[in-house]
Amino acid sequence: MTDKKVNPPSSAVWLLRHTFPGYHNEALTGDLIEKFHEGQTRRWFWAQVFFASAVAALRAIRRRWSFFCYAVAGTIAQYIFEYTNALGQVSTLLRWNELPWPLSQFVFELSVPAIAALSSLSVLARGLLIARSFRWAYLLRTCIVTLVLITMLHFSTDVFPWLLRPVPGNPYLKVFIIPRSIQVLLLASAYLVAAWLGCPLEEHARGSEGRSEGPQQARID
Amino acid sequence: MTRSYLGELELMVLLAIARLGDDAYGVPISKELLTFAQREVSLGSIYAALERLESKGFVSYSLGEPTPERGGRAKRYFRVTDSGGRALKMTRAALTRLWSDIPQLQGGDS
Repeated sequence: MTDKKVNPPSSAVWLLRHTFPGYHNEALTGDLIEKFHEGQTRRWFWAQVFFASAVAALRAIRRRWSFFCYAVAGTIAQYIFEYTNALGQVSTLLRWNELPWPLSQFVFELSVPAIAALSSLSVLARGLLIARSFRWAYLLRTCIVTLVLITMLHFSTDVFPWLLRPVPGNPYLKVFIIPRSIQVLLLASAYLVAAWLGCPLEEHARGSEGRSEGPQQARID
Repeated sequence: MTRSYLGELELMVLLAIARLGDDAYGVPISKELLTFAQREVSLGSIYAALERLESKGFVSYSLGEPTPERGGRAKRYFRVTDSGGRALKMTRAALTRLWSDIPQLQGGDS
């Protein structure tokens, strides 16, 4: 018998470990391996892993709906501020040209994204209040991570100049090679990751909760 | 005080645990659902339902020994708690009340 038939696909086990978080992960993996050894196919194993990952993703969205609201609000705010030039005078008001470099460049280029991020924090705060998990430290941490990620995204073209290509007919004008829809997704992902890192929800702390050494199951008569 | 209700899958999983007694972990629960409810439910969905039941306080668990046929992973045995038992009884009573005096259903026997 080949190793492929004896062992479940290790990449599927790895995927399951990383996409089905929580204290049931090990039990689920063990159950899948047990059923695989009972004669299920590798295809069945992969299907179960993908389904479990999808279930975990939906559960995460439901549990962290405030993070998604924050990501949507932050992304929309940033695009509205940029396209309507609603905060066009902010960098001037902050007297960016009187500041030393590189602070001047940061203020000039990042004041609008930073204000968009700060204003959308109110959406996150409201969500955390409704979910009864509001902490000022969470907001502060999320704010810092958001600003760091937005800065990294903003200056990515300086680090990776090949992300820009010249416009035909105008060698001085360059455009991003990444489509607009992907840019929007990247920006929303940055907000999402920031909220994820900034607001740790207490779900893993339940690792030993629910555990019972009680001898008897309740009788159902 | 807020009351927790049972969804359809939660109800079936809880009944399967109650039927299985001391051998209620993921694999037998899924077999029980397939045998008695003709429902092929993925193990991921079963664990998601178990997690919800646990958060409602309807089930508790204990860990078994890790075994080689499970890749060294321990089984997680579930049992119905007292409040889970009460929820089952209340659901049964509600369903029985709803079923009683029901007019003849089209395509059904009762």
